[in-house]
Amino acid sequence: MQAWIDTIWLVPLYSLVGAGLSLIWTPSITRKTGPRPAGYVNIFMTFLALLHSTIALVGIWGKSSQLFSLLWFSVEGLDFTFDVEVSALTVGAMVVITGINFLAQIYAVGYMEMDWGWARFYALLAFFEAGMCALSICDSLFFSYVILEILTLGTYLLVGMWYNQSLVVTGARDAFLTKRVGDLLLLMGVVSIFPLAGTWNFHLLADWAEKAEVNPVVITLILLGLLAGPMGKCAQFPLHLWLDEAMEGPLPSTILRNGVVVPTGAWVLIKIHPLLQLSVVAQQVAIAIGAATALGTVLIAIGQIDAKRALSYLVSAYMGLIFMAVGTGSIESAYLLMLSNALGAGLLVMALGSIISNNITQDLTLLGGLWSRRPISGLSFLVGMAGLGALPPFSGFWGLSSLYQSLQASRPGLAVLVLVINALLVFSLVRVFGLVWGGKPKQMTERSVEPLWLMVLPMTVLAGVVLHTPQLWTGMGLISWQSFADSWVLLLSTLVGIGLGAYIYLNEGIAKPIALPSRFIQDFFTYDFYTPQLYKFTVVGLVDIFSRLMYWFDRFFVDGLGNLFGIVTILGGESLKYSTFGQFQLYMLTMLLGVGLLVFLVFRT
Amino acid sequence: MLSTLIWLPIGGATIASFCSAKWARIVAILTSSAILFLHVLLLRQFNLGTGEFQFSENLPWLPNIGLNYTLGVDGLSLPLLVLNALLTWLVLCFDREVKERPRLFYVLILLIHAGLSGAFLALNTLLFLLFYEIELIPLYLVIAIWGSKQKNYAATKFLIFTAVSGILILAGFLGLAWVAPAPKPVFDYQSLRSLSLPVTAQIVLLLLLVAGFAIKAPFVPFHTWLPDTYVESATPVVMILGGVVAKMGTYGLFRFCVGLFPEAWSLLSPWFALWAGLGILYGAVTAIAQKDIKRMVAYSSIGHMSYVLLAAAAVTPLSLVGGIAQMVSHGLILALLFNLVGIIEKKVGTRELDVLNGLLNPLRGFPTVSALLILGGMASAGIPGMVGFIAEFLVFQGSFSKFPLPTLLAILGTGLTAVYFVILLNRTCFGKLDNKTAYYPKVLSSEKLPAFVLTTLIVFLGIQPHWLVTWSETTAQKISSRLPSNAIVQLINLQQQ
Repeated sequence: MQAWIDTIWLVPLYSLVGAGLSLIWTPSITRKTGPRPAGYVNIFMTFLALLHSTIALVGIWGKSSQLFSLLWFSVEGLDFTFDVEVSALTVGAMVVITGINFLAQIYAVGYMEMDWGWARFYALLAFFEAGMCALSICDSLFFSYVILEILTLGTYLLVGMWYNQSLVVTGARDAFLTKRVGDLLLLMGVVSIFPLAGTWNFHLLADWAEKAEVNPVVITLILLGLLAGPMGKCAQFPLHLWLDEAMEGPLPSTILRNGVVVPTGAWVLIKIHPLLQLSVVAQQVAIAIGAATALGTVLIAIGQIDAKRALSYLVSAYMGLIFMAVGTGSIESAYLLMLSNALGAGLLVMALGSIISNNITQDLTLLGGLWSRRPISGLSFLVGMAGLGALPPFSGFWGLSSLYQSLQASRPGLAVLVLVINALLVFSLVRVFGLVWGGKPKQMTERSVEPLWLMVLPMTVLAGVVLHTPQLWTGMGLISWQSFADSWVLLLSTLVGIGLGAYIYLNEGIAKPIALPSRFIQDFFTYDFYTPQLYKFTVVGLVDIFSRLMYWFDRFFVDGLGNLFGIVTILGGESLKYSTFGQFQLYMLTMLLGVGLLVFLVFRT
Repeated sequence: MLSTLIWLPIGGATIASFCSAKWARIVAILTSSAILFLHVLLLRQFNLGTGEFQFSENLPWLPNIGLNYTLGVDGLSLPLLVLNALLTWLVLCFDREVKERPRLFYVLILLIHAGLSGAFLALNTLLFLLFYEIELIPLYLVIAIWGSKQKNYAATKFLIFTAVSGILILAGFLGLAWVAPAPKPVFDYQSLRSLSLPVTAQIVLLLLLVAGFAIKAPFVPFHTWLPDTYVESATPVVMILGGVVAKMGTYGLFRFCVGLFPEAWSLLSPWFALWAGLGILYGAVTAIAQKDIKRMVAYSSIGHMSYVLLAAAAVTPLSLVGGIAQMVSHGLILALLFNLVGIIEKKVGTRELDVLNGLLNPLRGFPTVSALLILGGMASAGIPGMVGFIAEFLVFQGSFSKFPLPTLLAILGTGLTAVYFVILLNRTCFGKLDNKTAYYPKVLSSEKLPAFVLTTLIVFLGIQPHWLVTWSETTAQKISSRLPSNAIVQLINLQQQ
């Protein structure tokens, strides 16, 4: 058993090998074999990774964590070591990642049936899996940054999968650049914390933070830099826009993205959490950003008519809750929320994807009345909802209640906010459910059947996992019914959300689409607080104008100076040549004047 | 050993100039392969333990004026020599673009190679300058003969700028030789290094040399020759030009400016660091405004060379290793990008960003070339896993403790680098290929080979950077150990006031 634990670093390599093997399926070979073998190879490699990590999890269960380092290279006394932490938690994260990717890949076999880009698609999924598995055992800030940055490139390529559509191209661009902003600030933090702490190892950093005496301004700036990386990854205000646009990518990748890729940021945030005690400002920034994002995005989600986008904003909201949890030091609830999100958000995407795949549309206003036709998908959606919202005994409740309780004592205002967010979250999910499954069938949904078993099977398996998660947690002693008694208000807020949602969206009597009394407020939410326009006129516009201005300056001033010099030389020569007219006296005069000037200058003093 | 590295290409060039075009090619390929092999031998025999010059050779030439044929190699010149050999080999073995007067082309490329090797090996300032200037002639010719439309303008501009740079450097070296308290002028590098000059004299001479090398590298605002020259040159020429020739400027900066004027350098280095930070931003910002992919890549080079200036300004062992690594990584990445851009221009017939579209298309586009272009662009933008990242990171980490603000500016610059490469990739590789016009000739695998070789190196050195940084560690320590400590610098500052 120990052998499986010692070789845990192989897990990321399995999928990397799979990704490498996909390279064989070049366009010319794909024309002969079809695109599918590349997918099967990758599914097999992911299965191996899942198997290995599961066995290792059984082995490490109940034991203390094991730390070791692999030296990458060392230069001038600076060692770059890949520090590894093998614990039940990190290996468990690997199991979740490989498990969800395994299901998503099988799902993709059904969903991407007619696509020719399988090799690229599966290679990228495997690439993500490898990166995330490496991140989960990584115990070094430097390598966490490295992996996040590589995954940023992965996002660019994965969102850009169907690169000949214009929305995909801009979506891929925005995803890359927005995350890059976060990553670069993170890099600044990584570079600047080393001279102070002398290490990038998370454990040593935590020890250092215990007794560090540092300039409060400097450490606050560094911590804000470190926070920016997770903010970009987790799509928090003001770097939240990319996740919405990333929905242009293939749906099976969204399962992975919403479920586990976005939370990689939260994972790193939890790792740097011990440093946050050095700066109260940084803590408050984390809480404020989390709270603002959670509330804002949940409201935006209610305004969306695109099924995938309605879900994507909820992931931002959930990550906002985790930011609040980490900011207030409630790490256990952050982990619970992360797992709820991984399973719940993944399942929601699967359920909606099964609708999108054969109803051709993802416009919520065109769907409806699918309960009688698509009960399995509907049930899965409801289970996913129970996995996210606070509906005991399902898994979403426990994370939220843990957060609620920890906030209730220290910051009651935020505790109330959690109630509101929970109510709105459930409301928005009931809204989607009502628009898709409730009401009467419409033109697009008249004829609809459950899709291929390849999509239904992973969906139902994941639903089963979601339903069993609380049992697992009870077994681990993480949750108890006592906490239910302490946070029954949370259930109340859920019921309010469900009730209100059901009253509006499962009610034939109310005409849809619902219009708010003020068009402005409705548009404000629908168009994402006008953030795209805000970006366009601030950051993007500024860089654009500034770059043109600088280029103009470069051409006409810097280069112009050189050209001016050339022209003056040529013109000077051209005009001076007319001074050669052969009049001896004038030459003599010039010479005498010159000599006179010299003599004057020399003997002046 | 070292003389062979200079005279073998010259010999090859001489033989090639008497052969028919076909045989000239064979001679060129054989010579460049032999040179590459010699460099591999050099790498194997190189002693990592010492920061001194190795394989030294010394022949008196004109001892009366101090000009001696002194050669030597250390951890600073070795990576650049190998880069030079590699790029020359790639250009000579795989180039198919040069159809006119191929014999002359091979001869000139071999001569450029010899000149560059000579400059990197010379341990006598006059000898260095000799190689530095001689190599201008073949460079001028390759730009002027095989360039595109405005080749004459570009070649002349390049010649004038570089000649001015040569004059400045000559002035610096002559001044140094005369200032030295010795009966005869001193040009020998080793002896110059042991001089101790008054700080004021150091500053004047240093500024002359910095200006000279800043034109060659180039750093803003001496860069205006670069976009024109790079854009107008043929692909193989620009691979050499951007890949190695520009590195002579940064090499000179490390070898002569940092190496010979330690006190003056540490006095002025805060200003150099700021200059580097602003230069990086300037290069990146101007690159964003480009509409032509070759010009964009050319502008990218301006900012990326300034990372080396930042590394030189900081003069910590780590930053110096990073700076040397950045020279090599920039050489590899820039050569790859120019190679791919050249292929695209040749096949599609345009370099305009507004016209190019959808080249990633597996059927009618160039999927492999586009994939490599994405990789190259991302490597240039400093994405980890490729060599550009580790070089930049070492520069950042090495410079941060000394110059935090310029380093942060430099990191901001990598962010802007990502912006223009995403623009380039989105327009060129992504998007919908126009079915009506997309009848492009196929890219032959022989055309893609240099790109594959460069990509392999970029990825390999990115995954295991040990093989890149190990050569220069002791040399970097030696260079940085000669710098006065901060306390002394402050003392000098006080005295100046």
